[in-house]
Amino acid sequence: MVTCYLAITFTFFFMRLIPGNPIQSYVQALLTQGQYTLAEQAKQIVDAYLEMFGLKGDLLTQYVHFMKRLILHFDFGPSLIAFPRSSQELILERLPWTLGLLGTSVIISWLLGTALGALAGWRAGSKLDRSLVVLALAFSQIPFYVLAVFLVLLFGYILGWLPTGGAYNPMLRPSFSPEFIISVVKHAILPSLSLVLSTAFSWLLSMRSLVVTTLGEDYIAFAEAKGLRKATIFYRYVTRNALLPQLTNLGISLGFIVSGSVVVETLFRYPGVGMLFSVALTSLDYNLVMAFIIMSTLTVLTASLILDLIYPFVDPRVSYGE
Amino acid sequence: MSESVNSAKRVLNVLRASKKVLVGTSILVALLLLATLGAVVYKTRFAKDPTIPGTFYPSLYPSPEHPLGTDHYGRDILAMVLVGLGNSLAVGMIGGLFATVIAVVIGFAAGYKGGLVDHVLRSLTDTLLVIPTWPIFATLAAYVTIRSMPLFGLLIAAFSWPGAARAIRSQVLSLRNREFVQLAIITNLRTYEIIFFELLPNLLPYIVVSFSYATMGSIMAETALRFLGLGPPDVPTLGYLVNIYIPMGYLSIMPFTMVFILMLLAAIFIAFNLINIGLDEYFNPRLKKITGM
Repeated sequence: MVTCYLAITFTFFFMRLIPGNPIQSYVQALLTQGQYTLAEQAKQIVDAYLEMFGLKGDLLTQYVHFMKRLILHFDFGPSLIAFPRSSQELILERLPWTLGLLGTSVIISWLLGTALGALAGWRAGSKLDRSLVVLALAFSQIPFYVLAVFLVLLFGYILGWLPTGGAYNPMLRPSFSPEFIISVVKHAILPSLSLVLSTAFSWLLSMRSLVVTTLGEDYIAFAEAKGLRKATIFYRYVTRNALLPQLTNLGISLGFIVSGSVVVETLFRYPGVGMLFSVALTSLDYNLVMAFIIMSTLTVLTASLILDLIYPFVDPRVSYGE
Repeated sequence: MSESVNSAKRVLNVLRASKKVLVGTSILVALLLLATLGAVVYKTRFAKDPTIPGTFYPSLYPSPEHPLGTDHYGRDILAMVLVGLGNSLAVGMIGGLFATVIAVVIGFAAGYKGGLVDHVLRSLTDTLLVIPTWPIFATLAAYVTIRSMPLFGLLIAAFSWPGAARAIRSQVLSLRNREFVQLAIITNLRTYEIIFFELLPNLLPYIVVSFSYATMGSIMAETALRFLGLGPPDVPTLGYLVNIYIPMGYLSIMPFTMVFILMLLAAIFIAFNLINIGLDEYFNPRLKKITGM
């Protein structure tokens, strides 16, 4: 809660410190269109806009006004690029695309990386293990945007198999028809593949090292001595224990979805919140930028809260209080 | 003199002990040579500076004269790429350096002073590690006009120090309770003497690792920023080139040129990743389990 409040306050003052008043220039543009010639009227218009965007009065008044609006109505104020619609409305409208694309990618990547990592760790030293590790060493830190351009070039231009931008064929009308769904999936393949390829190897390395560490524990030696089947040891003893930290990190990664969506969505012109943020940045849309920063912080904090809450169910050793 | 011979020996030891560091360093050195010597030598082929707009015909296909073609401003692309490679590495290293300095100051203050200072600095570091700072960073880069490379590096560093600061703090904390530091405290050495003569030399390996991580992080942040079209256009880096060439349709008209730029970017990250993991394993042998080789 405190972190939440501090993050919001920090974001507010940070945005106010940045020079330039976008509303002022917006109003100037309106005035120069020549519709409003009376000085009196012009002043009223500017006042009305300042009021609406929460830019009236000194910094403290603005802050109180902002917090009041945020807490009482969950309102970040109107956006500039889609005036008079509110910022949170725009973000919520785009959120499903982001959650769909990045959520799926993070989970696929995690499943893939964890499974291969467990395998590599279990067979540590084998040919499979060594080749996976070499691949991982090469690929685990190549950022997804570099891979993304590679993939776009290969599948989009040279082979021409897949679309390179957007979320669906603009000729189709959004609906639940099979045609539209296929189009959505096709458009999601390239962005998703670049995310999966670039992150799966990190999951692989971390899972592998967890499995190797677990294999060195005494209880594994004991289970072997008891004569348990290899498969039982692998699934019930090794994987179960090694998975816990992996799950924690999955939760953290899911929390970072919103803030991590900016580059990938801009690159693929995908209509999610990240793309919205990128557009808002270039058009100086204060309220929208602020709303995005605060919301991306809130998602991370919510994810860690959920993680804390479900952890006792996953790991019986953890309990809060009684 | 013997001091420098000693440290040269230590570097050689690390290179001999870790194949990863060796491979990573070789790639990095090759890239650095390409960006410095390579750029200078390549530019002498032309009568005029090939990176000035309008020197050649715009958008020429790759040819013996221009191995990667010319761009829509009429600049030789290979010359631009070599300059961009140098700038990418330079921005990253400046960012990494600033970040390491900030991290060392904060890590030492928190770890050595303890008490309230530690509490405040640690909360700050942890908060910055938990909340996504990338959108704030992008916002700042979008609104504040920066023209010089050092300032740009400083901006990147302002967001990339927390990880290193936390690592250094915990190391300072563990060193502070060792006998030799306790002895130094008892013998009434001055604080700066303890920090500079007792703690710093022992932490040097960790600081080097932090610098390497921070440099890679800075290059990543810088490139990501460029992919959004942000950052100073006066400092052309590889990310900047990719960002301005894609909308011009170079992916379809000169795919090889784009592949070359992307390969250079990938090589930077592979090199730093190998160096980072290798150094980590060398200085914390328990981590050898990460890769097992």
